[in-house]
Order: sequence, then C-alpha cells, then structure tokens
Amino acid sequence: MPLDTLPAVRAAALNGRYRHHGATAVLEHALRDPDVGRTALVSSFGAESVVLLHLVSIIDRTTPVLFIDTEMLFAETLVYQQEVAERLHLQDVRVIRADPARKAAIDPDDTLHLRDTDACCDLRKTVPLQTALEDFDSWITGRKRYQGGKRSDLDFFEAEGDLRIKVNPLVHWTTQDLQDYIAENRLPRHPLVAQGYPSIGCAPCTSRVADGEDARAGRWRGTEKDECGIHFVNGKLVRGPLPAAVEMAATDTAPETARDETNGAPAAPETTETVMNVIVTDDGFGPDDWTGGFAAPAEATTQEVGIDLPPDTAPDALETVLDAPLVRIDFPSFSDGRGFTLARLLRLRGYRGRLRAKGHLIADQYAMARRAGFDEVEIDGELAARQPEDQWRARADWQAHDYQSRLRARIPA
Amino acid sequence: MYQYTDFDEAFVRTRVAQFRGQVERRIDGSLTEDEFKPLRLMNGLYLQLHAYMLRVAIPYGTINPGQMRQLAMIAERWDRGYGHFTTRQNIQFNWPKLKDVPDILDALADVQMHAIQTSGNTIRNVTADHFAGAAADEIEDPRPYAELLRQWSTDHPEFQFLPRKFKIAVTGSPNDRAVTKSHDIGLRMVRNAAGTPGFEVIVGGGLGRTPMIGKVVRDFLPVEDLLPYCEAIVSVWNLLGRRDNKYKARIKITVHEHGIEEISRLVEERFATLKAAFGGADQALLANIRAAFAPPVFAERPTDGFEAARLANPAFAAWADVNLAPHKAPGHAIVTISLKKHGATPGDATADQMRAMADLAERYGYGELRISHEQNVILPHVHKADLPEVYARLRAADLATANVGLVSDIIACPGMDYCALATARSIPIAQEIAERFEALKIEHEVGPLKIKISGCINACGHHHVGHIGILGLDRAGVENYQVTLGGDHTEDAVVGEKTGPGFSADEITGAIERIVFAYLDLREGPEETFLQAYRRVGMQPFKAALYEKDRADAA
Repeated sequence: MPLDTLPAVRAAALNGRYRHHGATAVLEHALRDPDVGRTALVSSFGAESVVLLHLVSIIDRTTPVLFIDTEMLFAETLVYQQEVAERLHLQDVRVIRADPARKAAIDPDDTLHLRDTDACCDLRKTVPLQTALEDFDSWITGRKRYQGGKRSDLDFFEAEGDLRIKVNPLVHWTTQDLQDYIAENRLPRHPLVAQGYPSIGCAPCTSRVADGEDARAGRWRGTEKDECGIHFVNGKLVRGPLPAAVEMAATDTAPETARDETNGAPAAPETTETVMNVIVTDDGFGPDDWTGGFAAPAEATTQEVGIDLPPDTAPDALETVLDAPLVRIDFPSFSDGRGFTLARLLRLRGYRGRLRAKGHLIADQYAMARRAGFDEVEIDGELAARQPEDQWRARADWQAHDYQSRLRARIPA
Repeated sequence: MYQYTDFDEAFVRTRVAQFRGQVERRIDGSLTEDEFKPLRLMNGLYLQLHAYMLRVAIPYGTINPGQMRQLAMIAERWDRGYGHFTTRQNIQFNWPKLKDVPDILDALADVQMHAIQTSGNTIRNVTADHFAGAAADEIEDPRPYAELLRQWSTDHPEFQFLPRKFKIAVTGSPNDRAVTKSHDIGLRMVRNAAGTPGFEVIVGGGLGRTPMIGKVVRDFLPVEDLLPYCEAIVSVWNLLGRRDNKYKARIKITVHEHGIEEISRLVEERFATLKAAFGGADQALLANIRAAFAPPVFAERPTDGFEAARLANPAFAAWADVNLAPHKAPGHAIVTISLKKHGATPGDATADQMRAMADLAERYGYGELRISHEQNVILPHVHKADLPEVYARLRAADLATANVGLVSDIIACPGMDYCALATARSIPIAQEIAERFEALKIEHEVGPLKIKISGCINACGHHHVGHIGILGLDRAGVENYQVTLGGDHTEDAVVGEKTGPGFSADEITGAIERIVFAYLDLREGPEETFLQAYRRVGMQPFKAALYEKDRADAA
C-alpha cells in the first residue's frame, strides 16, 4: 500500500493485519513494515518509558527517539534520560525543545503554566513535537488502555488525521506486565517512582499520588485536564484519539508528501532566520569583525585573505600559512582534538597572526583552545543560545591553574 | 611521598567546582548528553550496568594511611561499604549517586586525591612498579618521573580529546613489574654504557581485542627529555591516529599500520620542535619531587622475632614464603596483602579492611601503602621483627591469605556482574577456581602461577599475559571460556597461545585443574615454574591433558 494512501486507511489495514500479535511483533513490524514508513519513538523517559525504549533498542537501536524537554521537567528525568539512553545504547536520541524566540515571546518568565496549562503544553510540548514529527510517517507511543480515560479503547495503530500513523504497541499491557518486564530485564527505574510518582510529567504540573488513586491522578491535579494535547490532528489540538472513521470522512485530500521520492530523505527543514556566528574571546561574545574573507591554503590569491585549515592538515603544510593574517582551524566535532595540536604546532613554528577555532567547541574547551594557542573561538547561534556568554567567560581565567605553563617556564641556567 | 603544592591543591579544588557546574549545566540543558559524557568521563565517572561508577586515581599506586581512611569513609558514606582496587592502580566505587559525586570529589581533594583522567580519551592515571622505592633490584625510584608525568598530562590542553585512551607505565627496575610492554607508552629504566640512568621507551603495547607487545622507539632517553619526548609521541598520534573506528584508534594500531620506523622518525622530528618549548622549569620541579620521595630512615634492629615465629607457626611461615619480597634495606621486607581471599571478589576491600591496612602502615610501615596492578595492597617497608604482629593483625582483619603469586591470586575484571560491556562472568569463575585449589591444598606445591580472567575481548583482566589466561565470551547466549597458555606480563612479555575449543562455565574449573596437574606431572622438579615448564615442553602435552577428558567422555 503506497505511503500516500490515507493514514486512516492504512491504520485500519494494519490493525487487521496485526490484530492477533503481541507488542514485540507489532513493534518489529512498525519498524520494518513499509506501510508504516519512517518511524520515530516519542518518549517522555517517564515512569514506565523504559519498557518501550528497551523493546525498541533490541529491535533497532538506531531508531530515532524524540525526547521533549519542556524545560520544566524534573532534574531526575533529565539525568534518567541520559542514563537510560546510555544503558540501552540508543543511537539517535533527539532532544526537542521549544523555539527560544517563541518561548521568549509567549512565556518569558516561565509562569505560563500558572495561568493556562493548555497554552503551556502547547508551547513547550505539542508544537515542538509536531515540528519534529514533520519528518516522519509514523510515531510510536507508550500509551496503554489500562491508563483509562480517553485511552480505554486504543488500538495498535491509529490514524492521526491525514498526517501520519500512531503506533501503540503496549495498548494491551497492564501495570503488572510493565512491572514484570522492568524487573525481569533489570531495567533502571525512574528515581521518582519510588517517591510516589507513578506518572511523571513536568515538575510544576505533577504531584504525588496517594495509595488507591489512579496512576495519572497526579497529572494536572485539580483540573479537568488529563491529556497534554500532544495528540493533534491537522495542526489542531485534539484531546485524545479520534476514531479513524470520523477522521476519514473529514479529510478527503491526500496529504501533501513531505518526502523526496527519489531518495526517501526528509525534505530540508525550513529555517526561519539565519543566526550570525558568534566570536568568543576573553571579553565574551562579539560579532565577527574579520572582513578579509576565507580561502583554503591552495586557493588563497592574496596575502590578506584568512586561511581555512581542515582538521586533517598535515603538519608540514603549516609552513605555507605562517604569513597569513588569520588562520581558522575547523573542529568538525568537539570530541575531535586534532585542532588543538595543529594550533600548538603553528605557534611553535612561529605563527604570530590571529588564530581562530571554528565549529563545534563547547564552553568547557575554551581554556584548552586558549592554552593551545588560539585567540578566539567561532561558534554558531544555536550553540551560543544553549551555552550563553557567562559559560564561556567562566573560563576566561584560562591562564590560572595551568600545569603546562608551570612546567615549561624558562629557568635561567 | 609527594605532598600537594598549593598549586596542585588549588587545581584540584577548581576542577571539582568546574565539574559541579558541569553537572548543573547538563541538568539545565546547556550541555547535551553527548557533550557531557566526555566531561564526566575525564572526571572518572562511568555509567555501569546498574549505576554510576566512580574511578579514583591512586597515582603510581602510592597512598598514605590518611588517604586510605578517607577511601574507607567514602565507601561507607556514599557507597556500600567497600571499594574495588583495579589493575591500573585505581579504586572504583560501584554505587555512587550522580548528585553525590561532586561531594565525593571534594572529600578526595581533602586528602590530595582526585578522579581526574581515570577514563575518557585522555592520558590516564600513570602507573608504576608497586615495589618502587623498596625493591632491591631498583636503579632509581620511578615515582618522581610518574608524578612529573601526572602533572604534565593533567588537563594538558592538546590531549583531552585524543583518538582514544592513552596509558603510560613506568618502572625503575630492569625487572618489569609495571607491565610496560602492554602500555601505550612503557618506560623502563636502564643504564647506558656510561652507567647513567635513562629510559628505554616502548610504544604501542596494549591488550584489549588486539593484543600487541610494545616496540622500542628509543633505546635510551636521557631522563631530562622525558616530557618533550612523551609529548612528541602523543602529539604525533593525536594527528595520525584513526578517528573513524574506535577499535582501530589506539596507538598500537597506528604503530602497526605505519611501522615503528616511520613512527620513530615522526616522533624524533616532533621531539626536536617540542624540546625547545621546555625551559628548564620541569627539571627544577622534578628535583623538588625527588626530594619528596626520599626514602624513610630505616630502623636498624635485630630480626630474631621473625625467625622464631617462622619456626613456631607454620601458617605464618607459609604466608611469609609467598607474601614477602626482598627489601633493599637490611632487616626489612616488602609485604603484599592479598585481596584474593579464596571465594571473595578479587580486589575488593571493605571499609574496615582499608582502615586496618591504614593502621598497619602507620604503625609498622613508615606510613606508606601501595596498590599493585595485581589488585593487592602492599606495605612496602616493614621491619622483619614486626612481621609476626603484622601477620596477626592481618588475620584479625581477614587479610592474611597466603597466596601471592599462586594459583588463587587471580586477576579478574568485574565481568558481567558489574560491567555493561562484559559477555561473561569473571568474578564467580575466579572464586570457583580459587576455592577448588584451596580444597585440593596443592597451591603451595604448584608455586608461582598467574591466572588472569577477562569477561570480554576488551581484556581488562589482562588474560593475554596470564600464564593461564581465561577469556569469557558469549556463544549464542551461552558463556564460553577460552583458555590461553604461556602468556607473560614481564619484561619478556609474550601473548599467550590459545589451547583450542572453549569450555562452559561448569567445565572451566575442571579444565584449569587438568592443566595444573599436567604441569605437576611434566615439571622437572619443584624449582621449574609453570611458565618455565611450558616454555620447555610447549603446548602439546598441556593440550593433550586438557582435552583428554572430552575424548574419554566421547569414547
């Protein structure tokens, strides 16, 4: 069945096909059945999430896992998220957050949840997830029938309007099944479970649950709300799943395909604005004041142009750039430390010009870069937003506590 | 021993504060999981099978009683009352909570200790001969050089994001007790023709899934060139080492792929550049460090009590036969405290045992303790007259196992009981073998025999260089143990040879027993050790004995 067939039709067919299957089989097919298309697992890394994460990690640990960090979560959840991802060797965990600009406009002081929980869920959870899911044909959730409320009649496969299919492999599992699975597979528990939180969302809207209460009673306590609105159709919030038939009748146009049919790769996401790169020095953040342009060593036609050096530059090739006014060394990944040695060698060979590290360096590496001989670091806007100026300036004291300068000092004979 | 300078003290404190900040920045989202991980690792914090594991450095294996007591305190306050001494002169705490880790690091800093660069793709804790400063065969105490290397490698700006981990070992004696040929850089002290001490520099050794014996890159390195030369090696590898495949990233593979001649040429060339950058301060610091390691003034008094106790107490005599080593000072001995009690986890010590050892070191051992790469604790300087009392106190603390260097003195990695990488159990196998030989009562008759067990091909248990090596693998969901014979970890390092098909967990102890009995039959006399006998007769007779039972069963 082609992927541009309506999700509701495909969901109905899939439910028929897998009616008598268990969670593992459904999951295995969800990750392999061409009718399901590109699939991501969406996980809150909450109280029971580890079960589905474990099932997925066994079948295919490269499955994209979308984790929505509402920036309102319990610290325990963030630590637990990392622990679980490492334990299960998940290869592609994508942390989804609200657009900073939108957040600054709607909820600058992080108090929206006090006034309007739905709007807060919308800002921090629903919209970011919807954006992240644009690249996928289906997503896997951990919702179960026993959770009650609007979840009592869930199926393995649901159509989410004409957008995509939602796969719920654990629909028929009970609390006891989950407990047994966690125990038998020695999976780590979310630390808050032991403290009386059987269902865990954002810190401000989750409270402890008393004995005998419904497990989700602690979510948005004292309100009518029992779903976060993460389940949406056509960009509109829907509290709980819609019956497939209703949705089929409501939609008669085929969904616009977001896929590049030639290679199956997701279409490039639209960028709303281009953020300028930031130059970090001991004084903090600044704009790039270099106007001389950049060229590879072989393509430099004038003496005034800045030289771009890749990380695999051979040490001997450094001789050719000693007169450049600015040399910029690329760090493709912060874990690739070749650029530090290249910088040092350049300085040892007598380079006196401006030396810049560019790419993925983190604030914690600023002191290393300076000590290795760099004058400045060029980072992109995303990193500058995530690791603001104060985190870099904290290491402007790079000359202090430095074993190297102590060991290398010149002692008069 | 070395005391932190104000500089060291301020460095360690600042580092703890930085890590505390990094934990907070991970939680607030400033650092991604990928970014936090190497920062956590370079501060010694691993994520293991059940929980976080904190690996604390005991640089060159030297530790004082106050530090040992602090480890006991940490074990009790933040862990489950014990610690695990490793094959690289570290101690691991297996159950700390992430939020407590900065506090633990502070407690370590209080006694001049740290967990810096005990993991991650950095230069790791520098290890040294555990008999340093006490051994009779030593040219020079290697620890001042190890301390100099520790300072140089700590937070080295170029070498915090290397292609892979990097390990350095130093020995001050031509008799290699530091496994130098299995390290990325091994430094073995030798004398040149003029009698001046210097280092034979060995590069590219390693165990793991591709065991390699290190190759000599420089026959004789003057001691004053130590830092620029080591820096040249790491600098060449940092650019040349492979980053596309973590299993091919270690320098042993770089040396293998480029050849030792090419590596040597590149290193010498880089050395010429780097030497100019050292202005003499390192040598001034080295002189201060040397002074800090000046040996204690050894007491001169009679050893009669020792001889009398030997004659009177056979248990003491048996312990003294295997757990003592010759000391350079008259009337003294080096005491090895076995952490290999039959049936216990190799390398584990309880908080009470740590305190008992600290007390002994303070009272009878000139305030010094060592951790050996064989996962034992050493009292390097004990007067022989005090040995009966030391032995009695060790017995009281359940630390008087007399098996150093014998069959049951087994090196084992944590294995599947703790480690996320392991494919088989190691500790229970070590326990079972030790208990079997204890029951047979032939350990002392068998004499020196090193059994080393790894629970996966990463070879943390050094099985390749065990006289008998055991490698636990997973064969279609079933543990299977492969046996190697003839490995040697000393200056004559050799990688052991595989015997043939492996054994199940139920069969492996019996298989080891058959090998040992075959040796007893084959040897020319009690003086011929297992390794000597193996070298004389080869694999065949052992193989015959090992698989004889299988054939008998099949017949």
